[in-house]
Amino acid sequence: MGSAIKSEFRKFFTTRLWWGMAIGIFVAGAVFAGFFGWALTSENGNTGGGPQLEGTATQVVNSVYTAGLGVGYLLLLTVGIMQIGSEYRHKTITATLLSTPKRVQAMLAKIIALLGIGGVYGLISLLGSVSVGAIVLTLRDIDPFPSTEVLRTLALSLLALGLWALIGLGVGILIPNQVAAILVGVGVAWIIEPLLSFGLAFVEWAAKIVPYFPSNATNSMVSGVTAQGQDVDFLPWWGGALVLGAYAVALSVFGTWRTSRQDIS
Amino acid sequence: MTAAPMTTGARIEVRDLTKTFGSFTAVDQLSFHVEPGRITGFLGPNGAGKTTTLRMLLGLIHPTSGSATIDGQNYRDLDHPSSVVGSALEATNFHPGRTGRDHLRVLAAAGGLRDSRVDELLELTGIPAAARKRAGEYSMGMRQRLGLAAALLGDPRVLILDEPANGLDPEGIRWLRGFLRHLSNEGKTILVSSHLLQEVEATVDDVVIIANGRMVKSGAMSDLHGSPSTIVRTSNPDQLAGALRVADVMSSPGTDGELIAETTDKRLVGDVALRAGLPIWELRDRKADLEALFFELTEGTNRNLGDGASPVESDAISGLEGANE
Repeated sequence: MGSAIKSEFRKFFTTRLWWGMAIGIFVAGAVFAGFFGWALTSENGNTGGGPQLEGTATQVVNSVYTAGLGVGYLLLLTVGIMQIGSEYRHKTITATLLSTPKRVQAMLAKIIALLGIGGVYGLISLLGSVSVGAIVLTLRDIDPFPSTEVLRTLALSLLALGLWALIGLGVGILIPNQVAAILVGVGVAWIIEPLLSFGLAFVEWAAKIVPYFPSNATNSMVSGVTAQGQDVDFLPWWGGALVLGAYAVALSVFGTWRTSRQDIS
Repeated sequence: MTAAPMTTGARIEVRDLTKTFGSFTAVDQLSFHVEPGRITGFLGPNGAGKTTTLRMLLGLIHPTSGSATIDGQNYRDLDHPSSVVGSALEATNFHPGRTGRDHLRVLAAAGGLRDSRVDELLELTGIPAAARKRAGEYSMGMRQRLGLAAALLGDPRVLILDEPANGLDPEGIRWLRGFLRHLSNEGKTILVSSHLLQEVEATVDDVVIIANGRMVKSGAMSDLHGSPSTIVRTSNPDQLAGALRVADVMSSPGTDGELIAETTDKRLVGDVALRAGLPIWELRDRKADLEALFFELTEGTNRNLGDGASPVESDAISGLEGANE
């Protein structure tokens, strides 16, 4: 088992993808933290036509540090899809299953490796967002670490990225064409889901399911500020973690089951 | 060449193996075995079911019925598969952005092997420098060598190679031939598939020939060739046949007035003809041409060509055997 996991890590770190993603996620963390650090601490009067944002000091700091998470989890979704999708595309899945013929074990190795990869990228992202965010907040005379709850948020953002990688793994198995899987995965998470959230929020019964969408669950995990005037009650942080975890478990269990039955030809 | 085998091969046993895809039977009640210390050629036209059979043997495709075992075990039940069976299935299964050396390092990690094996194998297959480039830039010959290096990484007892000579130049084929002979002399079990007979004719000890997923013929190469004999042409074949019979040599008439004498002793045939006062117009070895035999055995039965094959079936086959093209 340990050797299969080591092999998955080597697979990931021997192509150029990993440092491209690393740069992307670092820059996203830094830029979004800088922008939100500036925007959220501006006088309310200056924010123009956008929705008013409100939150406690901790929520504001959380929002600044996890501002890049939205880009981050899309990147990890892509990483998860590619960890299996590139194996289908370049037919290396054959070599993988020849070295680890027990397929449940092979998939478990991918799952553990992706959680680890999610954590590593999470740290890279936080390196960017916390350094830049803390500087901007300090310049604005705001305490960059108002409570220990901030640490919980930072830890949960690592978990969220790992879970999104597992969701990607499931999507990658569900849609074996890698390019299609990335388009569908990112399209759903980035465009369809926010539109649905926005639309359903106006429908009384449907508004209740909106917090259970994966992106919304992720946002509630890191408990940032919320847009004013929305009729949606977001989940508590642990609820968000459980919901996102459920998506990740369901998709990776499905992926493992599907892979164990597949004919690889 | 080695006096005592260094490793002991394992026996491959395929019994009543069948695989159907929908209504299409890719492999049909196939049974054969492969012995250690010998090179076995697995032959058949494109689309005969060779790759499907090998993939079932390697646990990649689930058989519909029957079994395929290595040393009595299913591949999937092997605890350290890379040290029991090494295989190279397709020359294309590398990530184009990963170097050949890193490809081997990924496999070495999965097999729990030390990294120094990677460089040893790159030396052995003659690609140590090229393996530091990304695999996307490799020629077909490079890919074959890298695939072979991957197969040998765990020093396996059994080697299974799917069309290993595809894309090799004549020099590469000669190299491969010597290499496989060396490994088989170590006592390893070697199974090599090919759709081109002449590629393996000089290499293999045993053959298994299939067509349309069914067994056509299996056995030692020497048995397939038949007993060696001599072709002689003369003015009166019947008279020469009688004279040869006196000299204890059986013969039979061939085509175009030829006489086929069941001996390799051309000098004896010449002497007998001289004594009988018959002229010799032609005298040569008759080697049963395996290629002719191969076409004979598989002729007209290729389901990929011509009649009977519905488009659906052709698609199924090209999907399965596409790597051979």
